[in-house]
Amino acid sequence: MTEAIEIQLKKGVLALCVLALLSRADSYAYEIASQLAKDIDMGEGTIYPLMRRMQSDGLVETYLVESQSGPPRKYYRLTDAGRDSFAAQKAEWAAFTAAVEHILGAAA
Amino acid sequence: MTRAEFLTRLKRGLAGMPASAITDIVADYEAHFADGLAAGRTEADVAAALGEPERLAREQRAEQGVKRWEEAKNPSAAAGAIFAIVGLGAIDILFLLPLLMGVLGTLFACFMAAIGIFVAGGAVTAVGPFAGQPGGPAVAFLLGIGLMAAATALAAVTTLLSIWLVNGLVWFGRLHYRLLKPAIETQV
Repeated sequence: MTEAIEIQLKKGVLALCVLALLSRADSYAYEIASQLAKDIDMGEGTIYPLMRRMQSDGLVETYLVESQSGPPRKYYRLTDAGRDSFAAQKAEWAAFTAAVEHILGAAA
Repeated sequence: MTRAEFLTRLKRGLAGMPASAITDIVADYEAHFADGLAAGRTEADVAAALGEPERLAREQRAEQGVKRWEEAKNPSAAAGAIFAIVGLGAIDILFLLPLLMGVLGTLFACFMAAIGIFVAGGAVTAVGPFAGQPGGPAVAFLLGIGLMAAATALAAVTTLLSIWLVNGLVWFGRLHYRLLKPAIETQV
Protein backbone atom coordinates (compact mmCIF):
# COMPACT_ATOMS: atom_id res chain seq x y z
CA MET A 1 0.00 0.00 0.00
CA THR A 2 2.69 2.49 0.98
CA GLU A 3 4.53 1.38 -2.14
CA ALA A 4 1.56 2.32 -4.31
CA ILE A 5 1.35 5.75 -2.69
CA GLU A 6 5.06 6.27 -3.25
CA ILE A 7 4.82 5.43 -6.95
CA GLN A 8 1.82 7.71 -7.41
CA LEU A 9 3.66 10.57 -5.72
CA LYS A 10 6.68 10.06 -7.96
CA LYS A 11 4.57 9.99 -11.10
CA GLY A 12 2.90 13.22 -10.11
CA VAL A 13 6.10 15.14 -9.55
CA LEU A 14 8.04 13.72 -12.50
CA ALA A 15 7.19 16.64 -14.78
CA LEU A 16 8.09 19.10 -12.02
CA CYS A 17 11.47 17.36 -11.51
CA VAL A 18 12.23 17.53 -15.24
CA LEU A 19 11.40 21.24 -15.31
CA ALA A 20 13.64 21.77 -12.27
CA LEU A 21 16.60 19.93 -13.83
CA LEU A 22 16.24 21.88 -17.07
CA SER A 23 15.94 25.19 -15.21
CA ARG A 24 19.47 24.59 -13.90
CA ALA A 25 21.03 23.55 -17.20
CA ASP A 26 20.03 22.30 -20.65
CA SER A 27 20.25 18.56 -20.83
CA TYR A 28 19.57 15.49 -22.96
CA ALA A 29 17.08 12.72 -22.29
CA TYR A 30 19.56 10.06 -21.15
CA GLU A 31 21.10 12.41 -18.60
CA ILE A 32 17.67 13.47 -17.29
CA ALA A 33 16.49 9.85 -17.17
CA SER A 34 19.55 8.55 -15.32
CA GLN A 35 19.44 11.46 -12.89
CA LEU A 36 15.80 10.76 -12.06
CA ALA A 37 16.34 6.99 -12.00
CA LYS A 38 19.17 7.49 -9.50
CA ASP A 39 17.53 10.09 -7.27
CA ILE A 40 13.89 9.08 -7.18
CA ASP A 41 14.06 5.55 -8.57
CA MET A 42 12.08 6.31 -11.72
CA GLY A 43 11.64 3.92 -14.68
CA GLU A 44 13.95 5.23 -17.42
CA GLY A 45 11.49 4.64 -20.26
CA THR A 46 8.93 7.02 -18.73
CA ILE A 47 10.99 10.03 -19.72
CA TYR A 48 10.45 9.86 -23.49
CA PRO A 49 6.65 10.09 -23.66
CA LEU A 50 6.89 12.84 -21.03
CA MET A 51 9.47 14.83 -23.03
CA ARG A 52 7.34 14.57 -26.17
CA ARG A 53 4.29 15.77 -24.28
CA MET A 54 6.17 18.67 -22.73
CA GLN A 55 7.52 19.57 -26.16
CA SER A 56 4.08 19.54 -27.77
CA ASP A 57 2.76 21.60 -24.85
CA GLY A 58 5.48 24.15 -25.63
CA LEU A 59 7.26 23.85 -22.26
CA VAL A 60 10.57 22.66 -23.72
CA GLU A 61 12.30 22.93 -27.09
CA THR A 62 15.11 20.90 -28.61
CA TYR A 63 18.35 21.67 -30.40
CA LEU A 64 21.08 19.41 -31.74
CA VAL A 65 24.67 19.43 -30.51
CA GLU A 66 27.41 17.69 -32.46
CA SER A 67 29.08 14.91 -30.51
CA GLN A 68 32.54 13.40 -31.06
CA SER A 69 31.15 9.90 -31.11
CA GLY A 70 28.03 8.97 -33.01
CA PRO A 71 25.16 11.14 -34.27
CA PRO A 72 24.41 14.66 -32.92
CA ARG A 73 22.74 14.68 -29.54
CA LYS A 74 19.29 16.19 -28.89
CA TYR A 75 19.34 18.70 -26.04
CA TYR A 76 16.27 20.08 -24.29
CA ARG A 77 15.91 23.61 -22.94
CA LEU A 78 13.05 25.38 -21.20
CA THR A 79 10.93 27.84 -23.17
CA ASP A 80 9.51 30.97 -21.53
CA ALA A 81 6.24 29.10 -21.04
CA GLY A 82 8.25 26.27 -19.45
CA ARG A 83 9.91 28.67 -17.02
CA ASP A 84 6.52 30.18 -16.09
CA SER A 85 5.04 26.71 -15.63
CA PHE A 86 8.01 25.69 -13.43
CA ALA A 87 7.61 28.75 -11.20
CA ALA A 88 3.87 28.11 -10.84
CA GLN A 89 4.23 24.36 -10.15
CA LYS A 90 7.07 24.94 -7.71
CA ALA A 91 4.95 27.38 -5.72
CA GLU A 92 2.04 24.90 -5.74
CA TRP A 93 4.34 22.12 -4.59
CA ALA A 94 5.76 24.25 -1.76
CA ALA A 95 2.29 25.22 -0.56
CA PHE A 96 1.08 21.62 -0.77
CA THR A 97 4.02 20.06 1.07
CA ALA A 98 3.89 22.81 3.73
CA ALA A 99 0.22 21.99 4.29
CA VAL A 100 0.89 18.24 4.48
CA GLU A 101 3.81 18.73 6.86
CA HIS A 102 1.67 20.96 9.02
CA ILE A 103 -0.97 18.23 9.26
CA LEU A 104 1.63 15.51 9.89
CA GLY A 105 3.24 17.67 12.59
CA ALA A 106 -0.12 18.27 14.24
CA ALA A 107 -0.89 14.54 14.19
CA ALA A 108 2.44 13.56 15.78
CA MET B 1 16.37 -8.54 -24.51
CA THR B 2 18.86 -7.16 -27.04
CA ARG B 3 18.83 -3.64 -28.45
CA ALA B 4 17.72 -4.91 -31.89
CA GLU B 5 14.87 -6.92 -30.39
CA PHE B 6 13.71 -3.96 -28.29
CA LEU B 7 13.69 -1.62 -31.31
CA THR B 8 11.90 -4.16 -33.53
CA ARG B 9 9.15 -4.62 -30.94
CA LEU B 10 8.92 -0.86 -30.41
CA LYS B 11 8.56 -0.22 -34.17
CA ARG B 12 5.92 -2.91 -34.46
CA GLY B 13 4.00 -1.23 -31.65
CA LEU B 14 4.26 2.19 -33.29
CA ALA B 15 3.14 1.03 -36.76
CA GLY B 16 0.38 3.24 -38.14
CA MET B 17 1.64 6.46 -36.59
CA PRO B 18 2.98 9.23 -38.86
CA ALA B 19 6.40 8.23 -40.26
CA SER B 20 8.09 11.35 -38.86
CA ALA B 21 6.82 10.59 -35.35
CA ILE B 22 8.04 6.98 -35.55
CA THR B 23 11.48 8.14 -36.75
CA ASP B 24 11.69 10.63 -33.84
CA ILE B 25 10.64 8.13 -31.19
CA VAL B 26 12.88 5.33 -32.46
CA ALA B 27 15.82 7.77 -32.68
CA ASP B 28 15.23 8.72 -29.02
CA TYR B 29 15.47 5.11 -27.85
CA GLU B 30 18.43 4.38 -30.17
CA ALA B 31 20.26 7.32 -28.58
CA HIS B 32 19.31 5.99 -25.16
CA PHE B 33 20.93 2.63 -25.96
CA ALA B 34 24.03 4.36 -27.39
CA ASP B 35 24.39 6.49 -24.23
CA GLY B 36 23.79 3.52 -21.98
CA LEU B 37 26.38 1.37 -23.75
CA ALA B 38 28.85 4.27 -23.66
CA ALA B 39 28.29 4.42 -19.89
CA GLY B 40 29.37 0.78 -19.67
CA ARG B 41 25.97 -0.89 -19.34
CA THR B 42 24.88 -3.97 -21.26
CA GLU B 43 22.10 -3.96 -23.86
CA ALA B 44 20.01 -6.26 -21.66
CA ASP B 45 20.44 -3.92 -18.70
CA VAL B 46 19.36 -0.83 -20.68
CA ALA B 47 16.39 -2.67 -22.19
CA ALA B 48 15.26 -3.91 -18.78
CA ALA B 49 15.47 -0.40 -17.32
CA LEU B 50 13.41 1.01 -20.20
CA GLY B 51 10.57 -1.43 -19.69
CA GLU B 52 8.34 -3.28 -22.08
CA PRO B 53 8.56 -1.79 -25.62
CA GLU B 54 4.88 -2.54 -26.39
CA ARG B 55 3.79 -0.54 -23.36
CA LEU B 56 6.04 2.40 -24.28
CA ALA B 57 4.62 2.31 -27.82
CA ARG B 58 1.04 2.35 -26.51
CA GLU B 59 1.87 5.30 -24.30
CA GLN B 60 3.36 7.21 -27.24
CA ARG B 61 0.35 6.40 -29.43
CA ALA B 62 -2.03 7.65 -26.77
CA GLU B 63 -0.11 10.92 -26.49
CA GLN B 64 -0.25 11.28 -30.27
CA GLY B 65 -4.00 10.65 -30.37
CA VAL B 66 -4.67 13.13 -27.60
CA LYS B 67 -2.46 15.72 -29.28
CA ARG B 68 -4.40 15.39 -32.52
CA TRP B 69 -7.67 15.88 -30.64
CA GLU B 70 -6.29 18.98 -28.93
CA GLU B 71 -5.27 20.43 -32.29
CA ALA B 72 -8.46 19.67 -34.21
CA LYS B 73 -11.79 19.05 -32.53
CA ASN B 74 -13.35 16.83 -35.19
CA PRO B 75 -15.09 13.44 -35.01
CA SER B 76 -12.18 11.47 -36.47
CA ALA B 77 -9.69 12.98 -34.02
CA ALA B 78 -12.15 12.26 -31.19
CA ALA B 79 -12.41 8.62 -32.24
CA GLY B 80 -8.62 8.44 -32.53
CA ALA B 81 -8.08 9.85 -29.04
CA ILE B 82 -10.66 7.54 -27.49
CA PHE B 83 -9.29 4.43 -29.19
CA ALA B 84 -5.70 5.32 -28.33
CA ILE B 85 -6.64 5.65 -24.66
CA VAL B 86 -8.72 2.51 -24.77
CA GLY B 87 -5.61 0.86 -26.26
CA LEU B 88 -3.74 1.75 -23.10
CA GLY B 89 -6.21 -0.33 -21.19
CA ALA B 90 -6.95 2.82 -19.23
CA ILE B 91 -10.66 2.69 -19.93
CA ASP B 92 -12.50 -0.57 -19.85
CA ILE B 93 -14.31 -0.59 -23.18
CA LEU B 94 -16.93 -3.10 -22.04
CA PHE B 95 -17.88 -0.90 -19.15
CA LEU B 96 -17.78 2.24 -21.22
CA LEU B 97 -19.40 1.14 -24.47
CA PRO B 98 -23.08 0.99 -23.43
CA LEU B 99 -22.73 4.28 -21.59
CA LEU B 100 -20.92 5.91 -24.48
CA MET B 101 -23.43 4.61 -27.04
CA GLY B 102 -26.28 6.15 -25.05
CA VAL B 103 -24.59 9.50 -24.77
CA LEU B 104 -23.44 9.52 -28.38
CA GLY B 105 -26.93 8.50 -29.54
CA THR B 106 -28.46 11.39 -27.61
CA LEU B 107 -25.94 13.86 -29.00
CA PHE B 108 -26.53 12.55 -32.51
CA ALA B 109 -30.29 12.90 -32.06
CA CYS B 110 -29.80 16.49 -30.89
CA PHE B 111 -27.78 17.25 -34.00
CA MET B 112 -30.43 15.72 -36.24
CA ALA B 113 -33.15 17.67 -34.42
CA ALA B 114 -31.15 20.87 -34.85
CA ILE B 115 -30.83 20.26 -38.58
CA GLY B 116 -34.55 19.47 -38.85
CA ILE B 117 -35.60 22.59 -36.98
CA PHE B 118 -33.20 24.68 -39.04
CA VAL B 119 -34.69 23.40 -42.31
CA ALA B 120 -38.22 23.94 -41.01
CA GLY B 121 -37.29 27.47 -39.97
CA GLY B 122 -35.87 28.10 -43.44
CA ALA B 123 -39.07 26.86 -45.03
CA VAL B 124 -41.24 29.04 -42.78
CA THR B 125 -39.07 32.07 -43.55
CA ALA B 126 -39.22 31.47 -47.30
CA VAL B 127 -42.82 30.32 -47.71
CA GLY B 128 -44.59 31.78 -44.64
CA PRO B 129 -44.88 35.40 -45.78
CA PHE B 130 -46.72 34.30 -48.96
CA ALA B 131 -48.94 31.64 -47.38
CA GLY B 132 -51.35 34.16 -45.87
CA GLN B 133 -51.17 32.68 -42.42
CA PRO B 134 -52.57 34.44 -39.34
CA GLY B 135 -50.48 37.36 -38.07
CA GLY B 136 -49.30 38.42 -41.49
CA PRO B 137 -46.04 38.08 -43.41
CA ALA B 138 -43.82 39.79 -40.81
CA VAL B 139 -44.79 37.33 -38.05
CA ALA B 140 -44.18 34.32 -40.30
CA PHE B 141 -40.80 35.73 -41.31
CA LEU B 142 -39.75 36.36 -37.70
CA LEU B 143 -41.01 32.92 -36.63
CA GLY B 144 -38.83 31.31 -39.32
CA ILE B 145 -35.76 33.31 -38.27
CA GLY B 146 -36.47 32.42 -34.65
CA LEU B 147 -36.65 28.70 -35.45
CA MET B 148 -33.35 28.85 -37.31
CA ALA B 149 -31.68 30.71 -34.44
CA ALA B 150 -32.99 28.13 -31.95
CA ALA B 151 -31.67 25.30 -34.15
CA THR B 152 -28.26 26.97 -34.36
CA ALA B 153 -28.18 27.37 -30.59
CA LEU B 154 -29.14 23.72 -30.09
CA ALA B 155 -26.39 22.60 -32.48
CA ALA B 156 -23.85 24.81 -30.68
CA VAL B 157 -24.78 23.42 -27.27
CA THR B 158 -24.60 19.87 -28.62
CA THR B 159 -21.15 20.54 -30.08
CA LEU B 160 -19.95 21.93 -26.75
CA LEU B 161 -21.28 18.88 -24.91
CA SER B 162 -19.54 16.56 -27.38
CA ILE B 163 -16.23 18.36 -26.88
CA TRP B 164 -16.62 18.20 -23.10
CA LEU B 165 -17.40 14.52 -23.32
CA VAL B 166 -14.22 13.70 -25.25
CA ASN B 167 -12.12 15.99 -23.05
CA GLY B 168 -13.56 14.26 -20.02
CA LEU B 169 -12.64 10.85 -21.41
CA VAL B 170 -9.12 12.04 -22.21
CA TRP B 171 -8.74 13.48 -18.73
CA PHE B 172 -10.05 10.34 -17.10
CA GLY B 173 -7.86 8.11 -19.26
CA ARG B 174 -4.72 10.10 -18.52
CA LEU B 175 -5.41 10.26 -14.82
CA HIS B 176 -6.19 6.58 -14.67
CA TYR B 177 -3.15 5.71 -16.71
CA ARG B 178 -0.65 7.88 -14.88
CA LEU B 179 -1.83 7.24 -11.37
CA LEU B 180 -3.30 3.78 -11.27
CA LYS B 181 -1.53 1.75 -13.95
CA PRO B 182 1.99 2.34 -12.69
CA ALA B 183 0.85 1.55 -9.18
CA ILE B 184 -0.65 -1.74 -10.26
CA GLU B 185 2.13 -2.81 -12.58
CA THR B 186 5.51 -3.58 -11.19
CA GLN B 187 7.93 -0.76 -11.77
CA VAL B 188 10.92 -1.80 -13.86
